Amino acid sequence: MERLSDHARISTRARLVAVAIAAGGMLAAASQVCAADEVTQERLLNVGEEPGNWLHHHQNYSAHRFSTLKEINRDNVKNLKVAWTMHLGGVEGGGIWSHGGLEGTPIAENGFLYVTDGWGSVYKIDAHGGRGVLVWKMDPKTDRDWAGAVACCGVDNRGVALWGDLVISHTLDGRLIATNKETGQVAWQRTVADPDKSEVITGAPLIVKNMAITGVAGAEYGIRGWIAATDLTTQKEVWRTYTIPGKGEAGSETWKDSNNAAASGGGSTWVTGSYDPATDTIIWGVGNPGPDWDSAYRPGDNLYTDSSLALDATTGKIKWHYQHTPNDPYDYDSVAENVLVDIPGPSGPRKLALEANRNGFAYAIDRTTGKFVWGVPFVKKVTWTKGLDPETGKPIEYDPNKPVQTYIASVTPSRTNMESDICPGNMGGKNWPPTAYNPDLKLWYVPVIESCNRVKVEVMTPEKLKPREFWTGGGTSQPFKITGSVTAIDVTTGKIAQKMETPFPNLGGMLATPDLVFTGQPSGEVMALDAKSLQKLWEFNTGGGVNAPPMTFTVDGKQYIAILVGLGGAWDKWFIDSTRELKKIQPGSMLYVFAL
Amino acid sequence: MMAFNASPAATSILLVSVVALNLSMSGLAYGQAAQAAVSDPTNAGKAVFSRANCMGCHKWHGDGGGGYGGDALSLRKTELTKEQIIETVACGRPGTGMPFFVRGAYDTISCYDMTRQDVGERMPPEGGTFLRPNDIAAVADYVIAHVKGAGEPTYAQCTTFFGNTSRVCDIYKAGAESSSKTGTEGSK
Repeated sequence: MERLSDHARISTRARLVAVAIAAGGMLAAASQVCAADEVTQERLLNVGEEPGNWLHHHQNYSAHRFSTLKEINRDNVKNLKVAWTMHLGGVEGGGIWSHGGLEGTPIAENGFLYVTDGWGSVYKIDAHGGRGVLVWKMDPKTDRDWAGAVACCGVDNRGVALWGDLVISHTLDGRLIATNKETGQVAWQRTVADPDKSEVITGAPLIVKNMAITGVAGAEYGIRGWIAATDLTTQKEVWRTYTIPGKGEAGSETWKDSNNAAASGGGSTWVTGSYDPATDTIIWGVGNPGPDWDSAYRPGDNLYTDSSLALDATTGKIKWHYQHTPNDPYDYDSVAENVLVDIPGPSGPRKLALEANRNGFAYAIDRTTGKFVWGVPFVKKVTWTKGLDPETGKPIEYDPNKPVQTYIASVTPSRTNMESDICPGNMGGKNWPPTAYNPDLKLWYVPVIESCNRVKVEVMTPEKLKPREFWTGGGTSQPFKITGSVTAIDVTTGKIAQKMETPFPNLGGMLATPDLVFTGQPSGEVMALDAKSLQKLWEFNTGGGVNAPPMTFTVDGKQYIAILVGLGGAWDKWFIDSTRELKKIQPGSMLYVFAL
Repeated sequence: MMAFNASPAATSILLVSVVALNLSMSGLAYGQAAQAAVSDPTNAGKAVFSRANCMGCHKWHGDGGGGYGGDALSLRKTELTKEQIIETVACGRPGTGMPFFVRGAYDTISCYDMTRQDVGERMPPEGGTFLRPNDIAAVADYVIAHVKGAGEPTYAQCTTFFGNTSRVCDIYKAGAESSSKTGTEGSK
């Protein structure tokens, strides 16, 4: 732990108090200062009451990433300028990785930002006074070689959560850490995932009712995925729900092999989920089955891989599941966030869970029943299926009586089609970069990877399964140029409302405000688009690679846009050949903050 | 003009059964501070193995294997001679992700009797660092002495590579699999 500028922190608090006093009758400002020290379930449930703060990884429990702040709007966004920047660390390599990157979403509370770098260091930054001052840095001293050797897709950490007077974070080497918000001292830590089993953690924690919910990565290394809840008072595990059923449990019949494939069947959960307080339900995406591309090794639908899972938040019990790509031969995982929206329906409000999938389709599921409502392709090119069954949402070619699904067989990786080109490519579609939802316009903004790539299958046998070694059943190559888009979907109709194409895949994600959306490109640009037309209204080139989503907050009554910049993740190791111009992008680690 | 084309016949064998693999192009690999017996004459080559990020694809143990972007060849099972390894490191492997590590390869340095123009689209990527001939000979010596034909990775080999500062080697301890645990309540 490093303790920096203690003096600055104290003087800032003094100034805060002074500001509050000066504000006199401005009760809102005063109450914000009073609330500074404790994050409670009440506050997490009612983030709309403190629009200047960004308390959840996905902005609210419904994962909207929508801010009502509108000081920056379509009329003046052209005047947006860099307010300040801050260099962070964590670019060092480890394991199979030559450098780290930034994929995190900053958390903002009362003028302080909390951000992470790829190795899980947490930085508290004082954003008062129009500049950023580092208050403290908590370096968890992640065991880089241990974790980095089994991180499929980069040295990543997507951010923190706040609870009480604690900052809650994860490390790649499997820890959940609680850090004192004022001092930066580690209050306690707990091992949740085990890199000896190739389990690593990249996602931000979700805080629900005094529990930290943790997801795991490692489906490319033969893990059996889970979602775990830790009590933040007792520091003990409350529940751990495996995403692949144990022998005899419901769903285990969807693993029909004699290889014991389920035990190493994947089903990662490395993107933070959402929470519906009305039904006390956590909705969380589940990743691909393993081995990724040798689907004949694991005949059956392979539940609950490639599914959205609804869990009872109190017990972790599965309430419903919806599977998108049964017996997935493509690595089309469903790990993405579910966005919870209510739209008018013929018989009252429809309560939906939206998910934009790696397989190129966006889905709306009834989040009460888990039933399919609508699905729509959001990429320009889909070759693996003719489309979704309008009743079930399953791919039209899906045959429940078939142990190994072939979909459109001529373009599907299999033991008889050892090399094939798939669209979308295995990165998607839509990967982890988060969507945003504008509840006024009912528009849902998807950060899209418009792609195809080539898959070569390796036939797997149980003898090939080794601890801490890749379990992919093949590999990809990138003979095709990959581009991107921002695609807006009208949630009331399930139709594409608008598409703004970009030269590079969207590897960062979205932020929505009343009349704008913000996003970035891995070639360095941060941009603001009109919320309806997606016309570009403002752009700034950071000179780095944008691999993280923007967010917004206020301090001293002024609105800021913040985004982490530092290309890392899977792209520049495994997929760079599809975007050759990005080879010149240097590793970096920088926070950019913009204001009018 | 320096030449790395030791044997054209061997070259054609080299190009068989290779899956394209994208390499991260930059920087040093962590873990290069590994400590080993000072007396081992191949320590310099081990340092190169880390510094040039060979482990990014071939892994610390050199066995390569599957990756998200395809396979890296196993240096444990390789049948390449020292000269062929030197040539491969210097010139990379055309049409694959194996980078070249010598400055001027295919330009001022002859590789497989091919110029940059000859190799065309099959031009291998450029390594994240360039190596001097002595470095390349040293890493080849290291691979021949400690990796080629070494069988399954062992705990001793792992700690020789990394030292004892990381838990990366724990799974190679006898019985490590049965003792690994998840979800225990202990704090680290």
